[in-house]
Amino acid sequence: MIKLGVLRTYYGWLALALAASIVLPLVVGVFWVHVLIEILIMGLFATSFNLLFGYMGQLSFGQAAYYGIGAYTTALMITKASIPLPLCMMASVLMAGICALIFGYFCVRLTGIYFAILTMAFGQLVFYIIFQWYGFTGGDNGIQGIPAPPLLQNVYVYYYFTLLLVIAALIVMWFITNSPFGYTMRAIRDNSDRTRFIGINIRKYMLVNFVISGMFAGLSGSLWAPFNRSIAPDLANWAHSGIPVFMAVIGGPLGFFGPLVGSVVYTFLSAFVTGFTEYWPIVIGVIIIFIVLFLPGGILGTLQQKTHPVETNNPNNKKKETR
Amino acid sequence: MTESQLFSQFLSGVSRGMILFFISSGLTLIFGVMNILNFAHASFWLVGAYFTWTFWKILYSPIFGLWISIPLAALTMAGIGWILEVVLIRRVYNRTLSEQLLLTYALVLIIGDVIKLTWGVEDRIVARPQGMEGFIDILGAPFPTYYIFVITLGGFVAWGLWWLLQKTKFGRTVRAAVFSREMVGALGIPVHRIYTGVFALSLFIAGLAGGVQAPISSITLGMDMSIIVECFAVVVIGGFGSLPGALVGSLIVGLVYSFAILVVPKMALVLIFVVTAIVLIVRPWGLFGTPMRA
Amino acid sequence: MKRMNGCKIGNMGMIILLAIVFLSPLPVKAAEPYHLGVVLGLTGTGALYSRDGKNAVEMAVEEINKGGGFLGKHPIKLFVRDDQTKPDVGVREAKDLILREKVKCVLGTYSSAVGLAVEDVCYEYKVLHIPAISNTEAMTVDNYSPYTYQVVPNTYMQAMGQVIGISKYAKQKGWKSFVSIGSDYEWGHSTVNYFVDNMKKTFPEFKLTKQYWPKLGEKEFSSYITAVMGDKPDFVYAALASNDNIAWMKQAKPYGFFTKFPYACLISVTEMIEMKDELPRGVIGETRAPFFAHMDIPMMANFVKNYRAKHNQYPSDWAVMEYDAVYVLKQAIEKAQSIDIEKVKNALKGMTVDTTRGKLNFRKSDNMLNCQSYIGIIADDPQYPFPIYKDLLIVTGEESWRPESEIAAAREKSGLAKRRSPGELKF
Repeated sequence: MIKLGVLRTYYGWLALALAASIVLPLVVGVFWVHVLIEILIMGLFATSFNLLFGYMGQLSFGQAAYYGIGAYTTALMITKASIPLPLCMMASVLMAGICALIFGYFCVRLTGIYFAILTMAFGQLVFYIIFQWYGFTGGDNGIQGIPAPPLLQNVYVYYYFTLLLVIAALIVMWFITNSPFGYTMRAIRDNSDRTRFIGINIRKYMLVNFVISGMFAGLSGSLWAPFNRSIAPDLANWAHSGIPVFMAVIGGPLGFFGPLVGSVVYTFLSAFVTGFTEYWPIVIGVIIIFIVLFLPGGILGTLQQKTHPVETNNPNNKKKETR
Repeated sequence: MTESQLFSQFLSGVSRGMILFFISSGLTLIFGVMNILNFAHASFWLVGAYFTWTFWKILYSPIFGLWISIPLAALTMAGIGWILEVVLIRRVYNRTLSEQLLLTYALVLIIGDVIKLTWGVEDRIVARPQGMEGFIDILGAPFPTYYIFVITLGGFVAWGLWWLLQKTKFGRTVRAAVFSREMVGALGIPVHRIYTGVFALSLFIAGLAGGVQAPISSITLGMDMSIIVECFAVVVIGGFGSLPGALVGSLIVGLVYSFAILVVPKMALVLIFVVTAIVLIVRPWGLFGTPMRA
Repeated sequence: MKRMNGCKIGNMGMIILLAIVFLSPLPVKAAEPYHLGVVLGLTGTGALYSRDGKNAVEMAVEEINKGGGFLGKHPIKLFVRDDQTKPDVGVREAKDLILREKVKCVLGTYSSAVGLAVEDVCYEYKVLHIPAISNTEAMTVDNYSPYTYQVVPNTYMQAMGQVIGISKYAKQKGWKSFVSIGSDYEWGHSTVNYFVDNMKKTFPEFKLTKQYWPKLGEKEFSSYITAVMGDKPDFVYAALASNDNIAWMKQAKPYGFFTKFPYACLISVTEMIEMKDELPRGVIGETRAPFFAHMDIPMMANFVKNYRAKHNQYPSDWAVMEYDAVYVLKQAIEKAQSIDIEKVKNALKGMTVDTTRGKLNFRKSDNMLNCQSYIGIIADDPQYPFPIYKDLLIVTGEESWRPESEIAAAREKSGLAKRRSPGELKF
């Protein structure tokens, strides 16, 4: 009844992905359900990163700071004060947003490599503060025993809960990227000078985007804490900031779902490959180099090239970013 | 704090700074000429250290072993740099910043595992050369003799690079290529060879730095990850692409750290990050960089 | 005619049937293999210690499997995972081992942060957990789990061991002041704090004058060396991470540091072997399981012999402890006469076990083995190509662990009651 031709359309794939996300947990082993939850949470994180990267054209190497703040806010509120999860999540989003506002104020004054390094410096600042503050954050031992709320103890229930939340967040981000605001972002990415000439206050828009991105990163962190039952400071350091970058690049930064596809590939591979080798870094390193050199638009970008060859969205035509 | 103690801290800060300068000079050179921030530069430094250990072990001579191993390691790294530039790095000159950063970051991951596969997980120890195992008294402060060598060599490298860039034809071409790549190409000069040469030179210095580092502490996996962040701080403070900036920036970072541990012990590293952030906010192109580069 | 044929066929049939029964292997009910998991930091700062641990586990498993496995009928199937010294990866790999490979016991880990995270996973999924390198006291006291049994002297025990050993020298030589230098992370801080607090109780005249906290992973110590030397203390106490300690000692030596200042730190067999020429003689070291202290015990002597034959070097502390971990499990299974997790867990409670380090037993309140800490002075020994401890002082578990009376208060402080059921915390 449903012709295979439907698969050629964007919405066909989307429906397939949605169906898979609902059905998969019921057919794969329980360990893979854990991996699926990780895919969803990291996919959300990567998509929030992509608001800055793919849509605004700036590389932030410090998004893990907001992720970490979100995770720690939720973890501390649950373990120290037994506050119910929904309130914790709202607090996480708020805290991450506030930090993004403070750091972002300075970051958006820069672009290119300076932007990247400043975000990295702020990220490391957050990491060191969490790492050093043993009395409050448990230092490098982290926080253990973060319970999921009684309703979500079962991993299958947690999966569907996460799925709902992530879909809701993605819908919100989708609307943001397809709104006039989102198109202003693209304009800033493609030619910030011209955008300035038509009277747009670039810094203000960049800051708003930075805060939104930080808030969603905080949301993914707060989803992670009760799932993983424990957290540690390296959730906030620059190596962890690199993971959404990998995902966005693997999946394709110019498409909305690129980072999510990247998350599927990266997370699955990291869970699968470590099952039989300790040399995971060399595997992912080679994959990244391969993608950078031969699949510049990521998986989705390359697929789009193949199916719709005449494309203005060709990443090779994209202007070199301002430095 | 007595005078000699303060002087002691000063000397330690200078030696720490010199080691940073060795690595940062190559980093800033690559950025200045080719506009690529080489995340993997500290990893090349580490490989240089491991190669030095290998050569030193093979040569097994307490007097000459190190003096031969260090240049050998540096030359090996230069050769590796040559090959890497031709095969890999030149493909990303025209790419976006993020692609270049990701490529070099991926190299960090790969090199880390290659080191593990080649040299294993043990700590490697290289003894200081005979005659430089002790210390001398400078104004009442003890100072290891080997560090005098490090500081001297650092000065020599700095002078050598200056001389190369200012006084040789190669250097003039390099500076011209920084200013305008197209014009240099239009004049019939093979720009790609210049880039290869610069990359190989930077890795030569990184290998040299690794060799010099080897007898200072043990050589372990993961050393590259912790020092690359300090090197970024140096390059930011000194100015991207500026060699005098790298020297001054390294000394600043080394001295700030050295004195900070006396005054605000737990915050020494955080202080470096704060300084980096302030420089980026107030004067992104650093002390010696040019605003044009922004 | 038919009847005779029938008889013939019947007889033939009987003979064939009997032949099949006697000539074919008897159909025995397939014995369930024992799935054993190992989670170690094979990538990261602890790669060397982790590799030793892995080798020792593999050796123990091979030995036991020669006899048919646990109880002679459950061959051990080993699954090794790399946690990359990251707690998140450790959690995922532990889940992989438990949910996919269905292990009954997880051995490991290197980093304390990973150890704590894996402890929680094992508690949640009700799987045994024997950490043999991670030794934060939090695993047995603050974050106690009934499924976790610890075979390494924990951070409190190690610090207390040093207090006992060093106060002896301090009183002898009349030391008045000391300076501490510790790596700026939880292990460094808790070790220094335990040492300072307990030293205050044992020898209050011995005063702490200054504290230094180099960052974890610091390799450039010259600023710290000159600062400490400037303080001119009677004694220097160090709690530096192993790689950093090697760098520190190597760099301090040319300053003449060790000829001027008495110095104490952790020096494991790994450092003794790796640093053999560079290790300053005369420093006061402490370690967790040096093989040379127990060569009179047959289990240790055999282990050393076989390990050297296979890996061409002497076993480090990490190898010794992971080896012990496997044999502790074996003895518990034999006591319970079953591989069922709950039965083995109950058998382990308060159990006395034979280890390479002697006959030791688990304390019921925290599942801590009363293993020893070893303090001595680094000196050359004609028997070995590397320096070992002379004037060896062996501090027993009972002398060095946290008194049982303090345990409840510590658990109260960490809020453990929220995460465990009351029955599990009673002792």
